[in-house]
Amino acid sequence: MALLSVENLSVGYKSKNGLINAVNNISFSIEQGRSLGFVGESGCGKTTLGMTLMGLLPENASILKGDIFFNDHNLARFNDEQWRRFRGKETAMIFQAAMNALNPVIRVDEQIAEVIEIHNPLMSKTEIYTQVKKMFDLVEIPENRLRDFPHQYSGGMKQRAIIAMALACMPRLIIADEPTTALDVIVQDQILKEIKKIQKALNTSIIFISHDIAVVADVCKDICVMYGGHIVEKGTREEVFKSPRHPYTKALLGSYLSLDSEENIKVPEMRDSPDLITTTGVCMFANNCNCKSQDCKNKTPGWVNLSSTHQALCFEEVLNKDKND
Amino acid sequence: MTEEQNIQTPIIELNGVTKEYSSKKSFLSKAGTSIIALNNISLAIQKKEIFGLVGQSGSGKTTIGRILVKLEQPTKGIIKLNGKPANSLKGKALENYRSKVQMIFQDPYQSLNPHLSIAETILEPLVVNKIGNAVTRREKVIETLEIVGLSPGQEFYHRYPHQLSGGQRQRVAVARAIILDPEFIVADEPTSMMDATIAIQLFQLLLDIRKKFKMTFLFITHNLAAARFLCDRIAVIHNGVIVETGSAEMVIKDPQHAYTKKLILAQPGFNFKN
Repeated sequence: MALLSVENLSVGYKSKNGLINAVNNISFSIEQGRSLGFVGESGCGKTTLGMTLMGLLPENASILKGDIFFNDHNLARFNDEQWRRFRGKETAMIFQAAMNALNPVIRVDEQIAEVIEIHNPLMSKTEIYTQVKKMFDLVEIPENRLRDFPHQYSGGMKQRAIIAMALACMPRLIIADEPTTALDVIVQDQILKEIKKIQKALNTSIIFISHDIAVVADVCKDICVMYGGHIVEKGTREEVFKSPRHPYTKALLGSYLSLDSEENIKVPEMRDSPDLITTTGVCMFANNCNCKSQDCKNKTPGWVNLSSTHQALCFEEVLNKDKND
Repeated sequence: MTEEQNIQTPIIELNGVTKEYSSKKSFLSKAGTSIIALNNISLAIQKKEIFGLVGQSGSGKTTIGRILVKLEQPTKGIIKLNGKPANSLKGKALENYRSKVQMIFQDPYQSLNPHLSIAETILEPLVVNKIGNAVTRREKVIETLEIVGLSPGQEFYHRYPHQLSGGQRQRVAVARAIILDPEFIVADEPTSMMDATIAIQLFQLLLDIRKKFKMTFLFITHNLAAARFLCDRIAVIHNGVIVETGSAEMVIKDPQHAYTKKLILAQPGFNFKN
């Protein structure tokens, strides 16, 4: 049985112009010890998804429909108290802005001890600090830096401390939302190695959210591509990145600069993001797609199976037409 | 490279530039310690060239950018614009220098004043430098908006930064940088906060501007792939020292210095090893 399975989840934000469908009818599941990556551009709903899985949606947002099964619990029906006991213990989050995620006036080791203390009220002080030391060891922060304040850390060390905090209670699922975006390539490389090493050592599941497709490809074996609140393509990383089929995935890969993809760079045209308030029941990518199929603007696209693990939310004739592009 | 330099004077030149930051004696720390941010940096950028400066955080690449636009003074060394020393410019001469050397900052969410409309933001350099009158300025702003791809210009004229996306904001920053027809632009990680699709569009814009106006750029980044796409030559900087310079293609294909090799290895890619 999957550790986490999300079924037909929709999340909306109330705004004065109407309901914004930030996450629209998405389903996926993740097994213990696997890593699943979500890629997509700003506004595609990937952060909203992460926040939903952590029960951290803001006031004006709500789950419109769908279920989130984690073991035997349905997280979509959790109340605040249930979330408080669950969050940090069963699932933990590595946040985007490491610079701002630590409290500047509390020593780093105390911030991590706090997480353990809250979820394990019976643990003694010594036991807690043994656990803190173990965590720092795991993320390779030397012991003599434990009592430092966050400002004494470099960016990479802060991100390591955040990872240590997420791991503190040995959660079974970690959600990492753009954990390396503010870091330079060398530090990013170290942090990604760290995440992979820890995942292996603890057999944790990871949901990794990023707009940087190469970073996601580095960490995750399974990939979901998001656009306009929908998952538009999913599969293993080899399937999605080596033989992408959805027109959006192709556009995304075609514009990504990496050291081994210089020849086929295509500069996409300037385009507007889809309107998440009014657009329903048609392909979100229709206005920006080169497929010129009439179906996209009138009909709802469905899942097309491309292999046992590879699927795309599109129309069969579109997928077949530019198969060889 | 030396031959090239004999043929034409570089637009901008740094000669043996060193920058030292020293912490002053204070109540809490007794001894003043100093940090050498840049150590004997020399580089020359030719007209119409896009020169890339690649390095990780803390390598000193942003300090070079700030020295070039004269937001910082070097401790030692000479800056030359069109062959003329620019170290000790004051008053009118400094104003003149600043109108010729412009900067595009990293974060378009912080570099635009939220209280100013797009028009006011782009107009400001014209007002400061007393160029044109109300009518010609308006025309110039609309023209510049269209050059940077925000068209029709009238439609963006009265908007405010919060009504624009990140990519559009950065285009406003580009418009503000080019409106005075500068000779040289420093772009400090202009796309580090952007999605790949938006970043590549901005790169294309910079290439178009270079072609149209024969503009010269210094492009500061930690992304080697972006540097290769955009730059003619690149310099790799590490701990305040330039460790390698060469054509973008050669530096990436055949890196000489150990640090460059390390940087190349750290770039994320799609060769799934594990």
